Amino acid sequence: MIDVSRLTKRYRDLVAIEDLSFTVDKGEILGFLGPNGAGKSTTMRILTGFQPATSGTARVAGFDVFEQPLEVKRRVGYLPEIPPLYPDMTVAAYLRFVAELKGIPRKGRKDEVDRVAHAAQVAHVMDRLIANVSKGYKQRVGIAQALLGSPDVLILDEPTVGLDPSQILEVRDLIKSLAGKHTVILSTHILQEVIATCDRVLIIARGRRVAHERLADLQARHPGKSLDEIFLDLTSDTRIGGPVEVPAQGRAA
Amino acid sequence: MRNALAIAKKELYLYFTTPIAYVVFFATSFIGAFFFLSLASEFQRRSIQFMSFQAPELLARLNLTDMVAAPLILNMGVILIFVVPFLTMRLLAEERRQRTMELLMTAPIRSSEIVFGKYLAALGVLAVLIGITALFPALLDTYGTGATGGAAVEWQTVFAALAGLFLCGAAFVAVGLFVSALTESQVVAALITFLVLLLTWVVGWKAADAEGVWKDVLVHLSSVGHLVSFARGVVDLKDLVYFLSIAVLGLFLTHRAVEARRWA
Repeated sequence: MIDVSRLTKRYRDLVAIEDLSFTVDKGEILGFLGPNGAGKSTTMRILTGFQPATSGTARVAGFDVFEQPLEVKRRVGYLPEIPPLYPDMTVAAYLRFVAELKGIPRKGRKDEVDRVAHAAQVAHVMDRLIANVSKGYKQRVGIAQALLGSPDVLILDEPTVGLDPSQILEVRDLIKSLAGKHTVILSTHILQEVIATCDRVLIIARGRRVAHERLADLQARHPGKSLDEIFLDLTSDTRIGGPVEVPAQGRAA
Repeated sequence: MRNALAIAKKELYLYFTTPIAYVVFFATSFIGAFFFLSLASEFQRRSIQFMSFQAPELLARLNLTDMVAAPLILNMGVILIFVVPFLTMRLLAEERRQRTMELLMTAPIRSSEIVFGKYLAALGVLAVLIGITALFPALLDTYGTGATGGAAVEWQTVFAALAGLFLCGAAFVAVGLFVSALTESQVVAALITFLVLLLTWVVGWKAADAEGVWKDVLVHLSSVGHLVSFARGVVDLKDLVYFLSIAVLGLFLTHRAVEARRWA
């Protein structure tokens, strides 16, 4: 469903991701892990067509993200790191607007908005201004927005940030219920979340892939260690020091 | 096009559920009323003056269209310079600041549709402003009569002037939209738009002192100057071209600016 090959993104002299390749099968939930600044958000932004890559290719549902962005965007629901909400709109007006943007026909729009509002449990705050709902609700409105039109692929950048423990459990259940129908990439810091929801994990550090396998296989390769310890081991060499610099050659010229 | 309308609808929703549109309407009608009253009382003073001169041929030349309605619409062109920056400042700057640009740019729509939808919404608000301006000549028409007993206002001229005002506003909005695409700050967007629009007005003042080619150049650059023949009821091709080319250039640059952001 998602096929990323040798993807590289540089910001001037900063390497965000380098030579990243991975695949996600249809109906699979991929846990996307990595320390802050490892390039998770950048990867997701490239997959959703928000930013172009410097080199390499990414295909979603058989369409190249760069060549056929509209086809990809029709098939992807995306929750960015900061939920893209308009504080001056009510939740209902916002969801109707996004439904319209996604080209959901007028007839089914109301039902579709109601469906995602129930799925993300925001149905009872529909008439409130987004500015006035709590952080947890804002996050859930962001999730509802991503679910609109039931896209084949869901890309969720830290969907449980700002939620309280019971809400986290609810969102986890929601994501688990999406498996099979939707292909999900779920970025998170919370390792419990990966254990609870994901089939496979992709761990990156400093923009490079350090692991991409089934959760069980990862644990089998590091016997006797918890996922936390494995994660720390794999990403340890990157915890000290800042982002990687590109060698100066080529820049000076 | 349908996508552009979706964007336009959302922008109109935000204009009318936040105070901004109403404040702009209030300011325009308040200042418009001020100009209207001073122009009308000037007209009254002159009529009384000419009547006491017993000069019927002068009196016959006085008319509400040329002395009240047309100058009022010219003045509104200047007011647009002050008002349009507030209409356009939010359009793209706020999307960037709130990180909602990410939603628009990952939705299955083109960035040209985003730009065009926002432009349409601002034109909608502008159309209401023109409607408010049209109320003043309508008042004259309701309560006044012409020198020969006919209609007080020559509507053909007034409509030409209003159309010119709309075109002028449409050009200003395109400039404002472009500036809004360049910054995350609404205040910066409003100030720079205001500065640019103000320059297109004051450049006309300099034209009075200039000579030769420069005079022509400055006269043709002046935005409010291009309203003058509209206000006389003349739709001149060069004025049309002036306003339309600014509008098209503004939209084109906005689209470029939005696209360029992706590659940053």
